Amino acid sequence: METDILIIGAGPAGLAAAFEMASKGLDVTIVDESITMGGQLNQQTQVIPSLPSSFQSMRGFELAAHLTKQLEEYDIRYLLGHRVIGFYKDGSVGITDEQDVFAVKAKKIIVATGAAENAVAFPKWTLPGVMTIGAAQTMINRDFVQPGKEAVIVGSSDFALDAALQLSEVGVHVKGFIEKNAGILSRDLEKIEQVKKMGIPIYLDSFIKEARGMGAVEEIEIEIGTRVLTEKVDLVCVDGGRSPILDIFYQLGCSFGYQKELGGWVPQYNHQFQTDRQDIFLAGNAAGISTQGVLLVTGMLAGINVCEAVGAITKTIADEEKDFLWKELEILETKYNPNIWEARNRHMENFAHPVIKEQFLS
Amino acid sequence: MDKSTIICRCEEISYEEIEEVLTNGATTFDDIKRLTRCGMGPCQSKICHSLVASMIHEKTNTPYFQIPLPRMRMPLSPIKLETLATNSTSFSSVKSVMDEVELEDGKVR
Amino acid sequence: MDRSYETIIIGGGVVGSSIAYHLSEQTKEAVLVLDQKFPLSGTSGSTQAWVWVHNKTPSWYAEFSMYSAELYSYLSKKIGDVEFKRTGGLSPFFNEADREKAVRLAEAYEQIGIKIKVLSREEALEKEPFLNPDVVGATYSAIDGNVNPFRLVDRYMRAAKKNGVQYSTYNKVTEIQKMPGKFIVVSEKGEFSCKNLILAGGTWSRELGKLVDVNIPINQLRGQILVTEPLKPFLNYTISGLRQAFNGEVLIGYSMEQEGFNRATTLDVIQETANMAVHYVPSLKKAKVVRAFSGIRAMPEDGFPILGKIPGVENLYVAATHSGVTLSPLIGTLMTELILEGETSIPIDRYSISRFAK
Repeated sequence: METDILIIGAGPAGLAAAFEMASKGLDVTIVDESITMGGQLNQQTQVIPSLPSSFQSMRGFELAAHLTKQLEEYDIRYLLGHRVIGFYKDGSVGITDEQDVFAVKAKKIIVATGAAENAVAFPKWTLPGVMTIGAAQTMINRDFVQPGKEAVIVGSSDFALDAALQLSEVGVHVKGFIEKNAGILSRDLEKIEQVKKMGIPIYLDSFIKEARGMGAVEEIEIEIGTRVLTEKVDLVCVDGGRSPILDIFYQLGCSFGYQKELGGWVPQYNHQFQTDRQDIFLAGNAAGISTQGVLLVTGMLAGINVCEAVGAITKTIADEEKDFLWKELEILETKYNPNIWEARNRHMENFAHPVIKEQFLS
Repeated sequence: MDKSTIICRCEEISYEEIEEVLTNGATTFDDIKRLTRCGMGPCQSKICHSLVASMIHEKTNTPYFQIPLPRMRMPLSPIKLETLATNSTSFSSVKSVMDEVELEDGKVR
Repeated sequence: MDRSYETIIIGGGVVGSSIAYHLSEQTKEAVLVLDQKFPLSGTSGSTQAWVWVHNKTPSWYAEFSMYSAELYSYLSKKIGDVEFKRTGGLSPFFNEADREKAVRLAEAYEQIGIKIKVLSREEALEKEPFLNPDVVGATYSAIDGNVNPFRLVDRYMRAAKKNGVQYSTYNKVTEIQKMPGKFIVVSEKGEFSCKNLILAGGTWSRELGKLVDVNIPINQLRGQILVTEPLKPFLNYTISGLRQAFNGEVLIGYSMEQEGFNRATTLDVIQETANMAVHYVPSLKKAKVVRAFSGIRAMPEDGFPILGKIPGVENLYVAATHSGVTLSPLIGTLMTELILEGETSIPIDRYSISRFAK
């Protein structure tokens, strides 16, 4: 199969990129493991605080529907329920429908594979009932299953707070936040207030000393300073932060740099959201963990850059659109996370000096 | 952390086992992987790599940007051999033993 | 760390570490192993690790391999469990022309005392019931087997260290100076001196040789290998092309590509290898492949080990070979004899680097 553009990942960034390119007449193919489009947006029932100016305020799953709908008028090839499993020697992408593996040759590829949640280890963290907050959200919002009755949340980021609110909404009793740092990580004062009003304690300088249970988690010991608190729980939701998913970039031979604020190792990319492999662009959390609004803008930027690279739009038009979007990106990113904006700029400035490169040369 | 804590859940490798090879000179995730099997299972280190990076950081004082990523591998997620197979029986790079046996005047060289 | 050693070995892979271990069993004089990365990060850590005699040709090379394979049982007793298993080796064939080759191979080996049996279809299927019933026959050798390469190198290294050998890892050698009666080895972590210097650089031997103006004609050959999820034990033998490990994983691969030091894997070869697997053992169809890896093998220009003294430079030695896993116990033993006694119990003249000067 041949296509002008292959987008790997049908999350917010991938769909935003698809719109930019399809609307300029490019032949676009989108591949995603899931059979639904929108990625993690489908798990998000809360209103997204800051979207780009062209979007109305809406909830996550509504945004997923909106992004899907705006592609309807274009002739896009969807490979949903398909996995990328690797690459051929000539650079073609190997995709499986679980029956066969077939090759897709693309002029340009945008990798928008998002982020993965990091694990948090403590004794017996492998017991059933211990899961990431993302897994808990999936159970609630996709599978409509209540993941437990009595829960604690490890972490205090925006995501951890969101998860607690969602768990409470579906009737899970959240017994506390366990934060290893001395302060709450979330900067969303409104949300913190909401959580406090619900009477959920936030334990600072604390960690899970041990989980116990026969075949599933039954109770945990929380060490809070010098004190040890035992709580009966059947659900422990952990937030170990998120990092870009890198395996596709790695196989493509792209280079990497390290920026803690962007989630650790990040593919090296320039102001065009282009990696050091000229035909490979990226967008979304893969380019550094950020907020939903930012992810959309990175997708739009990657899309426009690809349009320019294949000659679908002139440089003048591209520059105009990009200027506007970069301003928007700066506003959205500095509003909540100025340190991420700074890290992103540092990362792009380092383009010519990746830390990890030529990973296949022994 | 309790030393019996599992770090790699796929291969059930504990904190203590990783600590031991770190004191024996292992430096990177891949060194640890080859000596303990940590990260060699079905998830291919997707779950444990950040935990191991923290351990390397704590035990050897190596800054995170100097702790390289584990080698990532195809297939990007597990896949059945029958799905990979194309039913072709002509081989270009893959050989058999008898391909390698060369006869000279009807005798083994 | 000391700066002065009786012997320095450059390369801590299966060959270098075996020499270090065997040497340390015989002498208390100081030995240092230098590795540009860490033992197992190169060829020794990316192999199916067959202990394989079966189709080595000509017969004198098969004989040499057999002596090494014979040492494995004893080695495990000395350095610890390396998951060595003498399974016997089975090479299935699927056409009559290959049976002709197989018969000739068996005849040639008989003369040197290596027993290779050419099995009929029924005999092959009786030994290995999960082989493709379309098989025409197979060659069988009782001496072949396999080993866990990670354990093997780790045990060599631990046993050597216990005997006082020092390792300096992530330490690339950048320069070698020959002085009267000694070598100065300049590395990223400083200078070391030694009386005896052994080049055991595997795939990097050619580069290493340049530091002493010696041409060590070793090229690179890439092999890609697939590993399945752990399966219930069902394969009895080391089949040429695949074997089942202690933990149930099946390792599959028999590919050869000239790609220099590029250890990427490609779906082209992965799919070809999958074809081979389901062709040989159809019941593998449902098994999931968990990972694929590439190993860059050291391949001497004529295929045979390069072992022994380097003529013209006193106390300089080379040990570079393909099939390092099979040969490591013997190479470690013989190189130790050569260094300590000046001669070897099994002649290695045939393997001298001087053969390339002709």
